[in-house]
Amino acid sequence: MAVDAVSMLSFIRFLFAFTIGSHILLVSTSIALVFLISISEFLFIRKHDPVYEALARKLSRVFVISFGVGTASGIVMAVELVGLFPSFMTLVASTGAIVLLYAEVSAFFVEVLALVLYVYYWNSFRGRYSHWVVSLFVVTGTLASAVLITMLNAWMNTPNGFDVSAFISSGFKTVTGVEPFAAFLTHSTVSQVFHVLATTVFAGTMVIGAYFAYWHVRSRDAGERAMYSRALKILGAIAIVTIVLAGISGSEEMGTLLVNQPLKYAALDGNTVPGNNLPDRFFGSVVNGSYVGGIAIPGMQALLAKFETGFTALPGLSQFPASTWPPLLVMTTFNIMTVGGLALGLFMFVFFVSFIRKRRPYESRRLLYTWIPAAVLAMLVYELGWATDEVGRQPWIVYNVMTVAQAANTSSALLVPGIAIVLFYLAVVPVTFYFYSRVFQGSNKEKPA
Amino acid sequence: MNGIFEVNYAAFSVFAALLVTEIMGAVGLLIAWPSRSKVLDYIVPVWEVTGTFGALWVVTGDFAYPGLLVPVSEIFTPLLIVFLILWVARGASIAFAEFITKRGWLDEEKLFKAYALATVVLGLVVLVLLSALVGGQGVNLASGSFSIISWATAGSVVFVIGTLLLAVGLAPIFFDLTALRNLVLPLTALGVVLSVLSYWLMSSGLLTSWMAVPVLLTLAVGGLYAWPRTSKIVTNKAVFLLVLSVIIFSLQPLVYPKAIGQALPIDAVTTTGAMADAFFSITLVGGLLLALMLSLYMVVAARGPSGPSV
Repeated sequence: MAVDAVSMLSFIRFLFAFTIGSHILLVSTSIALVFLISISEFLFIRKHDPVYEALARKLSRVFVISFGVGTASGIVMAVELVGLFPSFMTLVASTGAIVLLYAEVSAFFVEVLALVLYVYYWNSFRGRYSHWVVSLFVVTGTLASAVLITMLNAWMNTPNGFDVSAFISSGFKTVTGVEPFAAFLTHSTVSQVFHVLATTVFAGTMVIGAYFAYWHVRSRDAGERAMYSRALKILGAIAIVTIVLAGISGSEEMGTLLVNQPLKYAALDGNTVPGNNLPDRFFGSVVNGSYVGGIAIPGMQALLAKFETGFTALPGLSQFPASTWPPLLVMTTFNIMTVGGLALGLFMFVFFVSFIRKRRPYESRRLLYTWIPAAVLAMLVYELGWATDEVGRQPWIVYNVMTVAQAANTSSALLVPGIAIVLFYLAVVPVTFYFYSRVFQGSNKEKPA
Repeated sequence: MNGIFEVNYAAFSVFAALLVTEIMGAVGLLIAWPSRSKVLDYIVPVWEVTGTFGALWVVTGDFAYPGLLVPVSEIFTPLLIVFLILWVARGASIAFAEFITKRGWLDEEKLFKAYALATVVLGLVVLVLLSALVGGQGVNLASGSFSIISWATAGSVVFVIGTLLLAVGLAPIFFDLTALRNLVLPLTALGVVLSVLSYWLMSSGLLTSWMAVPVLLTLAVGGLYAWPRTSKIVTNKAVFLLVLSVIIFSLQPLVYPKAIGQALPIDAVTTTGAMADAFFSITLVGGLLLALMLSLYMVVAARGPSGPSV
């Protein structure tokens, strides 16, 4: 099948966006699960409440599914990157960025071996605390994997550790001045890792919580409801902490963008021209170089990005050639993300207030019903956050170094297997979530008396 | 000696040994489901580790040979995508199968058999890929393409048959199926002969005196199992996996110093300088971490029976 290079480039962009968009659904729930398992077992040990132990055991089996599908999908990402963006991976492999991927494999080993011990040798540990400590290894391995892959993304946003101008002037052939470990700390690493971790845990927590909220409302069995409410109590606490961290880190991220990726910053905030005291704008659009429609809150931009007003010079699109602008759709995705994030913050605030007033929000039908659409919104916001980050960097795959078009393999031989992989993911993600539920529900023999 | 190649090839050897034992078990699940317990007791805790060693091989390969990534992408991506689909299907089906309770038509047996089928087909895809990396059949380096029709030469086909015979011949040892003890040595010997023949058919330059090492080791494993007094040595799964990894590791002259039908000099495409130093540093730290975790695993595993947390 002959397909021209431009169409193939669009297809390849879509293919990778689709697979990584599916993959992060699995990853975020995995991370939330592992937190929930570890905290549940800890609470069982501290409170001698068998419901927490049953919860940890049941969830550990769900986590095996999540890990199995998630890591297989992670390998798909790793190989897909080589197949779809070979020049990008050649650059990664010639600089310190590959060190991050290699370190990530070590994190996988910690995670997988700890998981095998945790799940399959549950009763072989002499003390309960020693078994619980193994869950911390699983948590550490899982988080380290997430952190390291986020570091790679941060490197794509603010590349370092090699001589960029020499690389470009050599026609992308020669990498010199390599500092292999520099990629661990780029200009955007700290803020991006902070924001990604907070939002990933929050989104996964909301999705897992929605499952428990649904079953808590539906179930007539007191034992089951006791288990669901304990799970929701833990998840509610995690969600409250992480939504606060997501807000703080989001502001920190904007401050970092302002310095390191001013064009992306200008596109996200719809700044057509630079200025000092620009408004924060929502849901308008840029037409013929001017911002039209939407809502504008005067002076808010610098406050949100730098916690001050009026002094910071904010960048505008007019400072950059139009050929380097990202698709301005990112303004909308960014707006949905921020407004959605605020709505979720409000929901968690209500949950928190209800909690401190001892109203048991994790058993309130009204709040639990609200949790379910909130979880959908949380995942939408999370996915849009990634879309904003990636689309906002366009046309670059490595900012100011290599464009996606320069990195891509546009062979039409990829079309049919690429479509096959999309169809496969369309099946595997919902089936995985179905099996999460089926495995959790299917082992009620562990329900405590 | 190319240390980076050795590390990458060692990762491949362990991954391939684990995958081969999984394929042995998968065939057992497909043709002898009633005696599945011996197979599942092994596969269920180990399949995740196989995947992680697969990731280690892929990432160390990316790290080791940055200049190869563009040609590899051009030549093998369609085949790799088929591999990836099977890889996820394998992981998903066994993860689902482990904890499923019967409801409706879908049950443990169907899911484990789906895993087994995905694993066996995956093994075939890997064999096609490996034979192309060894002999270069089907690979056109100039145009950056791969043709399955050009791949199907006598050398490639005999390579696949020989390797499968070896897997079938060694499977009774790994799962200690004493009823099949008498088949082990003949099938293993035939597998060895066909494998060596396939190397010669692919390129006579592949046959060096070094090839005696994997041949003798493979026959020794079969021989030790044939004699009841020594069979316990090789039915120990850790020993078998170690020996199998060593056998695969000793096959490295098939791809080093030159791969893809002697057309690709490995040393010329291996990373150097500061990146090589970083490779060894991370290998050392990661290796220590892995050794620590494996030690912990062995201590706990020695204490008591395994089994899911039910």
